[in-house]
Amino acid sequence: MSDCKDKDPRIHGIASSIRVVPNFPKPGIMFQDITTLLLDPKAFKNTIDLFVERYRGKNISVVAGIEARGFIFGPPIALAIGAKFVPLRKPRKLPGKVISEKYVLEYGTDCLEMHVGAVQDGERALVIDDLIATGGTLCAAIKLLERVGAEVVECACVIELPELKGRERLNGKPLYILVESR
Amino acid sequence: MMYSTPFSSLGHPLAVQKDSRKYTRWGWPKEKKGPIFHFPFQNPLPFSPPWSSSPLFLQLSCKKMASEYEDDRIARISSSIRVIPDFPKPGIIFQDITTLLLDPKAFKDTIDLFVERYKDKNISVVAGIEARGFIFGPPIALAIEAKFVPLRKPKKLPGEVISEEYSLEYGTDQMEMHVGAVQAGERALIVDDLIATGGTLCAAIRLLERVGVEVVECACVIELPELKGRDRLGEAPLFVLVKAT
Repeated sequence: MSDCKDKDPRIHGIASSIRVVPNFPKPGIMFQDITTLLLDPKAFKNTIDLFVERYRGKNISVVAGIEARGFIFGPPIALAIGAKFVPLRKPRKLPGKVISEKYVLEYGTDCLEMHVGAVQDGERALVIDDLIATGGTLCAAIKLLERVGAEVVECACVIELPELKGRERLNGKPLYILVESR
Repeated sequence: MMYSTPFSSLGHPLAVQKDSRKYTRWGWPKEKKGPIFHFPFQNPLPFSPPWSSSPLFLQLSCKKMASEYEDDRIARISSSIRVIPDFPKPGIIFQDITTLLLDPKAFKDTIDLFVERYKDKNISVVAGIEARGFIFGPPIALAIEAKFVPLRKPKKLPGEVISEEYSLEYGTDQMEMHVGAVQAGERALIVDDLIATGGTLCAAIRLLERVGVEVVECACVIELPELKGRDRLGEAPLFVLVKAT
């Protein structure tokens, strides 16, 4: 069941709009499904507002979103704070010149790519995804941005699975989340 | 480039023709810069003409102001799109919207143009096609207070889904939507970054219509008109901001 930080009255509505689907994508995994949050316009708006209120006025010029669910939450935040949106994608999706960062999966490895020239040295960036589990994907995203000289100010996710300790794998970068799921 | 204003009779307002041949080697547009003169804001005469305060003149001025504003936004959007030759394979000229996303004003204008069109149309669903439809769909949904429904490749959505097969150049692919995401009678928009052959959009329309939803319109940033995707959408109209030839 979801556990929410009761700092803000909007959090409860967000947490209760998230659907848990057992045994997806494989037996034993309790999948946190944010599509039901997206079906609730008020909950979706509150989600974005909570992030925007935190990051507005912090001189953040880049919001990097991880494919594909980071593409849902990242752009509205970027638009609201006047930052550019940079998609971080699976291999061979981005056209033109890219840089690549490998990361470890439970079985095997995967790769995250970013466009060369999307981000300049010295820019302040946010990394967005719907959920942090082991932190492997977010860690790869942080490395991509730091390789081009950007400063990753914070990672922001809707949901954290704290038992998987992803927070400890973020190269010391802070993590901000709305809902913890145990 | 050919501009259509919102008041053109062509039925496809706001579309700008973009010639793919007029790009530099690295895929950046060769911008044409000319004198910018905005009549009636910049009056070339040293005095105000006697007709300038007549009601008809002011009406025409307002329409011209509105259409000039639209044209300026579209021009910026169009020139922010990067063209990459031979991607994903030789012979294909790829329209890359990631450079639009790097221009906060162009991105905001893109969303604003869609929101202005749809905000009072009683639309309760914005369906976005994975993955670039996920970038444009949610901001529109948020602004018009509609729900956002992701339409995804197979095995990505958890729980019960319905599936629609569609043709690719070689073989077929499938698109899925969650059961229960939309209700019969709802009015929907389908959003993607680009329409080429129309195969993907057509599958999206079929998915929504199968559950009794009315597809009000398909909205894309870019159309490739030579591929005639527009003709494959059945009853559903198509609205685009930029046509790329």
